[in-house]
Amino acid sequence: MYCIETKNLSHSFSPNATVLNNINLKVPHGSLYGFLGPNGAGKTTTLRLLLGLLKKQQGEIFITGKNLQQNRIKILKEVGSMIESPSLYGHLTANENLRLLQKIYGCPQSRINEVLTITGILNTGQKKVNQFSLGMKQRLAIAVALLNNPSLLILDEPTNGLDPYGILEIRALLKKLNEEHAVTIVVSSHLLTEIEKLVTHVGIINKGAMLFQDTLKALTEMQLTSAKTNLKCNAPEKALEIIQLFNHSSTVLNDRIILPALSPLSIAQLNKHLVQQNIEVYEISTLENDLETIFMELINKN
Amino acid sequence: MTVFLNSLVSEWIKKSRSFADWLVWLGAFFVPIVNTIIFLVYPNQILKLHQESDFWNAIFYRSWETMSIMLLPMGIVLAVSLITQIEFKNNCWKQLHTLPISFSSIYFSKFIVLLVMLVQLIVLFNIGIIFSCIIPAVFNSNIPFPSLKLPWQWLLLENGKFFIVSIPLLSLQYLHSLQFKNFLIPIGAGLALVIGGLIALSWKYVFLLPFSYNSLFFFQTLGKRSPEHNILLWSLAYFVLFTLVGYILYLFKKEKG
Repeated sequence: MYCIETKNLSHSFSPNATVLNNINLKVPHGSLYGFLGPNGAGKTTTLRLLLGLLKKQQGEIFITGKNLQQNRIKILKEVGSMIESPSLYGHLTANENLRLLQKIYGCPQSRINEVLTITGILNTGQKKVNQFSLGMKQRLAIAVALLNNPSLLILDEPTNGLDPYGILEIRALLKKLNEEHAVTIVVSSHLLTEIEKLVTHVGIINKGAMLFQDTLKALTEMQLTSAKTNLKCNAPEKALEIIQLFNHSSTVLNDRIILPALSPLSIAQLNKHLVQQNIEVYEISTLENDLETIFMELINKN
Repeated sequence: MTVFLNSLVSEWIKKSRSFADWLVWLGAFFVPIVNTIIFLVYPNQILKLHQESDFWNAIFYRSWETMSIMLLPMGIVLAVSLITQIEFKNNCWKQLHTLPISFSSIYFSKFIVLLVMLVQLIVLFNIGIIFSCIIPAVFNSNIPFPSLKLPWQWLLLENGKFFIVSIPLLSLQYLHSLQFKNFLIPIGAGLALVIGGLIALSWKYVFLLPFSYNSLFFFQTLGKRSPEHNILLWSLAYFVLFTLVGYILYLFKKEKG
């Protein structure tokens, strides 16, 4: 059973503009799930559907095994969320913002100071939220999301507006919540580099379609298989014959021979044979695609 | 029930220190302050009222005149729009709709807060009326202090009637303020209706226009308009109708933040 599971979730804002097309999201319990995609890919629409902010048109949504439509209130008791920009009452203080939500969640009043401490904004006193910097607002919005001690956190670009130190702090906080308190976390972002150090699972969406969904490890393995070794020499055709003796598949591109990524030992052996056959080797190098390139390739293929 | 009460408390905290909150205090004391100044500068005006057979009746209707015809309807339009605008302006509908409470609790707790604010305004206004009679007497020895034997029952009844004729406008304003993110649309529409209601006062079918009930009822009470139509009943009927229509429209909104 997944913590979040959608079945053929589709949505359109007008008859000719499908925003989501058969999305089958599978977020395992206890995972830290990075939901990635460029701007306008359908991330926020998916998250808004998961929270019941948009009326579901097609498909099914299950959260902790329960159907969202039939168990909305029961599910929301266990969910903390932050969608797009922070939702805070500017004319009230941080404490008042949390107090009005604490009344509804029915959690102890001491929880207010706990979440303010966790997010590092305990000492804002009587300062109104209108006077907060964007970073402080973002922290308070995360404090709001944590107030009810949720077992599932849904955060849409939570590090927007934070300084580098703030980003590191929030990352560490999310990791801690996930590892020590077994909170399942879904974090959306349009930058893989921003969350690759954080997440255990990745879902990549573009133009309303799910392009990839698996563990981060699986994405990293994809990265390794997509790495290439480049060879430049004075006689590419002769070199190709030798390479075939080693059972390596290869292609020639702009006077360079492109091979699957070779180990250092294989590179040394190949180089030795080429030199023995009087081929002048100018360069052998291995190019590893970073995760961002894989992400971009997946998106561009779509 | 506890959930609903908590939602009500939450809405009450939310409106504290908002402009709508200040508007209640400003609206309630505006006419009494103006009257106090007039009575201090022109003592004859309050002395005339003291010569009336029923002083409290005279001062009450003098104060309600400006209040019911102009200030209260406009205040309702502004305050209701400002309360719903708190969610739009702060981008908070989405936060509110992801809380573990029913949409009905959200709709009705906000609505009840607005009704309580109206009661608050009427109570403060009456306190203001009393002080507008006492303060001039403190500063001018020629002005007598009013009898403190206030006709409580009568005051309660008359204020209750003004409350009832105000709630159709409140519910109508609540209905359309929930539909528009742009603050100017509900404010503009509300003010246009109130002014339209004033213009239509001489129309024979004005009793069909709920946004003119404050002034229509006031003139009926003074005997300046025929009481052939029971405005109080019409008000209650419109109130129920607008509340239900508003609730259904809110419930079936496709996007909730």
